Amino acid sequence: MNILNSLFRTKDKQLGVAERGRRYDLPLNKSAGTGFLILLVALMTFLAVMALGASFTLGEMAQRWASGLENRLTVEIPAEITGGALRSPSDIAYLSEKTAEALKADPAVETVEIMGEADVQALISPWLGEDLSFEGLPLPGLISVKMRIGTPEAIERLRHTLKGINQDIHLDAHESWLKDLLRLTGALKFAAAAITLIIALTTIAAIAGAVRSRMAEHKADVELLHLMGASDLYITRQFQRHALILALRGALAGTAAGGLALLLIGLSAGNGGDTGLLPNLHLGTKHVLTLILLPCAACLIASLAARFTVLRVLALMP
Amino acid sequence: MIKFEHVGLRYGVGPEVLSDIDFTLEPGSFHFLTGPSGAGKTSLMSLMYLGRKPTRGLVTMFGRSINKMERPQLSAIRQRIGVVFQEFRLLPHLSAFDNVALPLRILGRPEKEIRSNVTELLEWVGLGDHKMMLPPTMSGGQQQRTAIARAVIARPKLLLADEPTGNLDDEIGFRLMTLFEQLNRMGTTIVIATHSQTIMDQFGHPRLVLEHGGLRVEEPKNWIRRKIEGVF
Repeated sequence: MNILNSLFRTKDKQLGVAERGRRYDLPLNKSAGTGFLILLVALMTFLAVMALGASFTLGEMAQRWASGLENRLTVEIPAEITGGALRSPSDIAYLSEKTAEALKADPAVETVEIMGEADVQALISPWLGEDLSFEGLPLPGLISVKMRIGTPEAIERLRHTLKGINQDIHLDAHESWLKDLLRLTGALKFAAAAITLIIALTTIAAIAGAVRSRMAEHKADVELLHLMGASDLYITRQFQRHALILALRGALAGTAAGGLALLLIGLSAGNGGDTGLLPNLHLGTKHVLTLILLPCAACLIASLAARFTVLRVLALMP
Repeated sequence: MIKFEHVGLRYGVGPEVLSDIDFTLEPGSFHFLTGPSGAGKTSLMSLMYLGRKPTRGLVTMFGRSINKMERPQLSAIRQRIGVVFQEFRLLPHLSAFDNVALPLRILGRPEKEIRSNVTELLEWVGLGDHKMMLPPTMSGGQQQRTAIARAVIARPKLLLADEPTGNLDDEIGFRLMTLFEQLNRMGTTIVIATHSQTIMDQFGHPRLVLEHGGLRVEEPKNWIRRKIEGVF
C-alpha cells in the first residue's frame, strides 16, 4: 500500500501536484547535504560515546582503587634484616604478634589482621607464577590494618610506634602510588571531557554552517516570509525543527553504534583479570542512562545552534 | 494610514532614486501609482511594504513612525499589509493552496478556518481545480491570481499591488480590479502600481505620479465627477 502511495506521489510530482503532507514553508528537508549532516552528527555522537565511555570506566576504576584502599594500611615485617641476613619464620611470627598488639592498642585502629602464610603466598603467586614452589622461599610477615580515622597524624603516630618495636618494620599507607594513579586517571578523565567538549563545539560549528548555507540557498523565500510579517521566531522554528530532526537521526545512529562498540570492547576485555587492578569495562546503569541521553543533548545543541544562527542572520534584514 | 515626509532612497553610494517624497494616504483610500519605467515605482512600493528602510526622511504607518520601530513591531505592521509582487514571488515548492494559506498560517489561524477560506478564495479567482498545483507548472495568469489571492486572504488593512493585472486577460483583470474595489469598500487602503492607462481611466482613482525621482498627486477629472455624482 505504501509502495502504491509512493508511486502515486512520484507521478503527482511529475505532474506538478504538491504532496499533501506539508511540513515546512521552506523546503529544508530537500536541501543538498542533508545526508552528510546526519552522517557528521552520527560520527560526532559515536566519538562522544567512546570518550564518555572511557571517562566513565576510568572514573569507576579510580573510585574502586580509592574506596578499596581508603583507611587501609599494610604493615610489613621484612624477611630480610638490614645487613642482608634472613629473619627466621618464628622471629617473623613473634614480631607480627607484638606489632599487632601495639596496633590494637592505638585508638585510631579499628581492626588488625595478621595474614597467614597461605594468604601471603596467594598474594605473591600472580607475580612469581602458579607453578613455583614456596619451599625455602623467605616470605615477609604482613598485617592488614583498618583505621577508624586515617588522618596523616594517626598514621605518623603508628609509624613511630612500629619503629619502637623494630626499625625494619615498614608501614605502607598506599598513598604514594595511589596518588600518582589517581592523578593519572584524573588527567585522562579531563582529556576525555575535553574531547567531548571539542566534539560538541565541532557539532555546533557544523550545524551553524549548514544552517547558514540553507539560509543562503533559500534567501529569497526567507525574505518573502519576513516581508509577509513572519516573526523571527516563526522562521527560526522551521530551521530549528529541521536541525533537530537531522540531529536526532544522526545522534540515534551514532549512539547505537557507539553503544555496540563499547559492548564489544567490554566483552572482548572480560572482567579485567583477577588482580582487580584493571578496570571492569562493563558500564553501570547510571552511565548507560547518561549515554542514552546523548541524543537528547545532541538535539538540544543542534536546535540551539540553529536558533542562534538564524536569529543572527535575520537581524541583518530590515 | 501612510505618511511619507521628505523621504529619500539611494542604493549603496549611487544617486537617490527617490528624492523628497511627500504624501499622505488616508485610511480607506484607493490610489494608482504610476510613472514611466525606471521612475522608482517598485522602490517606493518596497518602502511601503517595509522591504527597505529609507535613506532619509520619516515614514509613518498606521499612525506610528517606523524609523525607530523594534523588529517584532515591524513584523506586526507587515502582517497588516498585503503585497502583490511584480514577479509574484510564490514559493515554488508549495502548492497554490499552501501559498495562499501562508499569511493565515503566519497569523496562527486554525487550520480548519484556513482550509475553508483558502478554498473559497481559490474558487473565486478561478483556481479551484488547480489548488494542489505547484507554481512552476502554472501559467503566468494562474501564478498572478495565486499571488493576488495570497495578498488578500488575510484581509489586510493596506494592499499594495505591483502591476497586478499585467499578465491577465481583460475579463480576469477586470474581475480582480473589482475584488480590489470590494476590499477597498470594506476599509482596505489600496495602492496599485500600474502602467495601464485603461485601468486607471476605467476605475478613476487618484494617481501618485512618480517622475524624475519626485512624486505628485493627480486627481483625475472623471474621479471628481464621480465623487460629485455620489458614486463614492
